[in-house]
Amino acid sequence: MKFGLFYELQLPKPPGAATWDPDAERRIYHEMLEQVELADKLGFDYVFEVEHHFLEEYSHSSAPELMMAALSQRTRNIRLGHGIVLTPPGYNHPARVAERLAALDILSDGRVEFGSGESSSDMELGGFGVDRSRKKAMWEEATREICTMMTQEPYQGFEGEFFSMPARNVVPKPLQKPHPPLWVAASRRETTMVAARLGMASLGFGFETPEELGDRSEEYWRLVREECFPIGHAINPGLAVLSTFMAAETDEEAVRRSADGPGFFAYSLGYYYSPLTGGSHQPGATNIYDRFNELPSEQRDGRGPLVAARLMSRDQIAAEEPEDEVQRALFRAARSGQAIGTTDTIRRNIKAYEHHHLDVLVLVAQCGDRKHEHIMESIERFGTEVLPEFKERHESEHRPWREKQLSGVDLPINSSI
Amino acid sequence: MARAEKIKDATLRSGVEEAYGQLRAGDPSGAVATLADAFGDLLVRHPELLEFSTTVRGRAFPLVARWPAFGANLVLDPERAAPPRIEFVRQRFAVSEALTYYEFLVDLAVDQGL
Repeated sequence: MKFGLFYELQLPKPPGAATWDPDAERRIYHEMLEQVELADKLGFDYVFEVEHHFLEEYSHSSAPELMMAALSQRTRNIRLGHGIVLTPPGYNHPARVAERLAALDILSDGRVEFGSGESSSDMELGGFGVDRSRKKAMWEEATREICTMMTQEPYQGFEGEFFSMPARNVVPKPLQKPHPPLWVAASRRETTMVAARLGMASLGFGFETPEELGDRSEEYWRLVREECFPIGHAINPGLAVLSTFMAAETDEEAVRRSADGPGFFAYSLGYYYSPLTGGSHQPGATNIYDRFNELPSEQRDGRGPLVAARLMSRDQIAAEEPEDEVQRALFRAARSGQAIGTTDTIRRNIKAYEHHHLDVLVLVAQCGDRKHEHIMESIERFGTEVLPEFKERHESEHRPWREKQLSGVDLPINSSI
Repeated sequence: MARAEKIKDATLRSGVEEAYGQLRAGDPSGAVATLADAFGDLLVRHPELLEFSTTVRGRAFPLVARWPAFGANLVLDPERAAPPRIEFVRQRFAVSEALTYYEFLVDLAVDQGL
């Protein structure tokens, strides 16, 4: 199993405030640079950064290509993942996406991962005039053509349903041939299977538990072997899952430092993606963090993943959970595969993913109002005390397993996994 | 073994297999039409499916309401006076849209033991 870090660049407003400290955005951008630099030195394999627009507090990462360009000059080995680029043409013209990917691939000496997706918040779709009911078709048409633009010389041009352009040579071309590895955002099981059929790695944004992953893995790999008709010119078979992350000297300290980070992440995500709240958001006025803090504690505490995964009902959780607050948080982390606790606890929790043959575990450290110094310490602890043994097993056990899964596949492969 | 082969309901399995053939033949729009027919027919023969719910981010939704809304949209009468139907707001569908409809229907059938 390999490891990545995941960034939304969350920035909750201060309690009761209408806006942020003037230095706040500069601060989180520069903190991310420091965190990824450290992760790179310690051997983390990936950083994935989202592209979102207008989702204040939830995500201030609207130009990830610029952050990636900065990181390309401050890191040496870590793979720079778009997690993801919004490819419907209303957000980004496909030729501009192809150009930026190639330029970044050159600047980083071939370290780009091309994740793509559509987003589904009213704020973004409405902001760019993207038709919700056609966004998947737009994603498919644009992503397919972006791959061709990166390989064809000159690009033959295209008359499509959602964009058209004449023949042009889209330059530069990426360093990786035929193009960087392909990923797609997948928060539903169906999308993971669509990814398999199109020859893309699935970037599981649903915080899937180890059991859910196990349920998906067998079918995903069967589809790659038997029913794949690639969207690009090389396939990137693989499964990644997001997990919340906070490591500390004691379990209790990790839970304390984790604070409301995962809860705010889930709340603000639900806020923007629900048609009830997301559609009525007042730009520049609403303080989402205040609304989150007004919730009863049982709605802020992160039981969501267990319920959503249908592992346990709310009643079952209540019956089995320890009464002590810290022990309860650790119980939930263990049941849902979260990387929260001492390095021993984290090792134990995430081994279940390894057991189910996960390729990449993507750790979410930067969320809510967590502290930079705590995130840095988490990265340091994990990178020195947990990561090496998993990396070793990736080479000795997982890589042969992957090769077995891919035996008989005669499609071109470009994968960093 | 393909997951669709686990569908016990012969009528549904036949529809799903036909749709998959259309997909592989480069006709995603035809596949969506076939899948919509198969889904509509399934809801008529198994009305109990309308009562099942699923949880998304902590909220309960009718299971069948997760049928994707890419243009072959499920219309449910809140009073249940009229049977559910699929309304087509367009006739043209992309491969990824057809695949999503396909995966939803196969999952629904296999998960419910149909």
